[in-house]
Amino acid sequence: METLVELDHVSKSYEAKAAVRDLSLKIEAGSMFGLLGPNGAGKTSTIRMMIGITLPDSGKVSLFGKPFGDAALKRVGYLPEERGLYKKMKVIDQLVFLAELRGLGALEAKRRAQLWCEKLQIAESMDKRTEELSKGMQQKIQFISTLLHDPELIIMDEPFSGLDPVNAVLLQDTLVELKKQGNAVLFSTHRMDQVEKLCDSICLIDRGAPVLAGGMREIKSRYERNRVIVQFEGSDAFLKHPAIEEYKSYVGHAEIKLKPHADAQDLLKTAAATATITKFELVEPSLEEIFIETVGGRADA
Amino acid sequence: MPSALLRNTLLIAKREYLERVRSKVFRITTLLVPLGMGGLGMLGALSGKKLEGVQNLAIVSNNAELAQEVKAALDEGAFPPKQVEIFAPATDADETLVKSQVASHQIGGYLMLETTPGETQPDSTWISGSSINLVGKAQMESAVRSAMIREQLVAKGVPASQVSGLMKESKLETKQLKGSAVVSSDSERSFLGAYGLIIVLYASVLIYGINIARSVVEEKTSRIFEVLLSTASSDSLMLGKLLGVGAVGLTQMGIWGVLLVFYAGSAMASTQGIHGLGSLGITKAELGFFVIFFLGGFYLYSALAAALGSAVSAEQEVQQFSFILISPLVVSVVLLPYVLGNPNSTGAVVLSLLPPFTPIIMYMRICAQMPPLWQVWLSILLLGLTVWAMVWLAARIYRIGVLMYGKRATLPEMIRWLRYS
Repeated sequence: METLVELDHVSKSYEAKAAVRDLSLKIEAGSMFGLLGPNGAGKTSTIRMMIGITLPDSGKVSLFGKPFGDAALKRVGYLPEERGLYKKMKVIDQLVFLAELRGLGALEAKRRAQLWCEKLQIAESMDKRTEELSKGMQQKIQFISTLLHDPELIIMDEPFSGLDPVNAVLLQDTLVELKKQGNAVLFSTHRMDQVEKLCDSICLIDRGAPVLAGGMREIKSRYERNRVIVQFEGSDAFLKHPAIEEYKSYVGHAEIKLKPHADAQDLLKTAAATATITKFELVEPSLEEIFIETVGGRADA
Repeated sequence: MPSALLRNTLLIAKREYLERVRSKVFRITTLLVPLGMGGLGMLGALSGKKLEGVQNLAIVSNNAELAQEVKAALDEGAFPPKQVEIFAPATDADETLVKSQVASHQIGGYLMLETTPGETQPDSTWISGSSINLVGKAQMESAVRSAMIREQLVAKGVPASQVSGLMKESKLETKQLKGSAVVSSDSERSFLGAYGLIIVLYASVLIYGINIARSVVEEKTSRIFEVLLSTASSDSLMLGKLLGVGAVGLTQMGIWGVLLVFYAGSAMASTQGIHGLGSLGITKAELGFFVIFFLGGFYLYSALAAALGSAVSAEQEVQQFSFILISPLVVSVVLLPYVLGNPNSTGAVVLSLLPPFTPIIMYMRICAQMPPLWQVWLSILLLGLTVWAMVWLAARIYRIGVLMYGKRATLPEMIRWLRYS
């Protein structure tokens, strides 16, 4: 499979602060890649180096198999976390302008803008001025502007922040579709639940350095299935069972972490003796738990 | 210029141009400024008519001959009065009558002339109901003086027929050597040309320079500039902005220019003593240099504005910095009289070659006395290079702006950032 982005032992510091330290990663075509980390971990700095907004102090960055060059930008769609639009401009003019900057002809840009606006259900806003739109709608416009030129590499920095669930799912589905068509999608986020469902591989960075990287399945398989989710009615006395290392108890719902190599079946028997069990599920740790475990309780995500 | 840079520059220029030209502000200022100027012109014409001497007056004197001479001098003067009544030799009753006429505003005032035998100068006093204006004072003084001279000349035996000829004012005509041709010229016109450029430059820098700074800041505060930077080089962003906003300014100036040409040829203008642009005394070469130095100055200050806009993070700060933008213009204005007086002195030559001062000072020198051509071309070259350097710098500052959040960078910080990016 073609490697679209490769960072090779890349470092970058600002003033005395190291933003990225000795980071290496690869993003393949047709995959979804999660760049994870708490706020200030160096995610945005990493992305900026990928697309030449800043240059690394040391290490090598290659885009589409070559060192970075301006021409490569036409094949990249970047949605920064800090993003904006021209407030006074009409939506359609704005989309056409941004697409033209990425090399599309005006007519083709207009045609595609039309299609995308219909697809994302904002066609009726195309002739409005941007400042008249709600924040969520502006975000959809930004999303479209990132994709109009059909980039092979799509980079999204916190793409769903501030979106309602319906629209978040709409955009998610769009990204999955694009991935299936062979585009690579890079997600940068601290929202683990989204990444867990969507990404094929991840790189978790903390204070600029990679702490966990690899395929999603492979990473999760490194961890024991030692989490138990129980739904019950009746006494919660079974939570005193010796196999349990720690637990969180809610109303009729408990999330349990077992001691290493503990016997979950014995816990089930004990629980069934004192309470009515409606659900007893043995699961792998969620990415969020892995994340917190890896970067420690410090994560302010 | 690589084709991508050119293409993006033009795209950005087009966007800036269309967004602005379509805006209401553009339409309003394009219409209002000529209307305002026209209004000012009318006001000027009206107040020009007000420039007149005393219309109705009386001369009260003990010397009938002198009174007649003064009346004649008044009538021949630059501001002849409508009616002059003479009371000479005057009685006390006459004086009382005149006083009452002044009080009831029938006449503007009266001139008391009293001669004493043996003395050459009469005692002359102007008495009026209001304070006299400068024109009125000059009117009276010159009439009395020329009457006195006339009387003395006659007394010394000069025939009356020759006296009038001797009393005629001589007029000084000024000519200027331009190249090998003698053209009629005066320093006022050189001043006028330079002031015209100053006003046009000042206004356009204030309006469009600040506009550029604003639009840069707007891109920064709305955070669209990270999107832009990920698609186009900052060089093309800055260059495009400069060309686009510049073209808006030129469009507006062009509209005004056409209006001015129409106006200058119109009947309304001829009542104000203007018959076509030619009568304003502007040569084609001067017009050409006007355009060159206007464009040079405009782009220099606009690029400076873009750099300033890139360095600040909020729109309010643009206002604070507009002073920096204007100060070279202000300095040029202050130095104008010096340059006009000594257009080829070392000081004037050096000033005219310093890019921030070049547009106004060099244009002033060209109007006053054509400097050596090499100096003119050198100044234009230096101006062009400075514009280019400024755009380059603005583009760098803009690019590193992406790394700065919500604070204004200090100069040393910016130099460090330049290294990092």
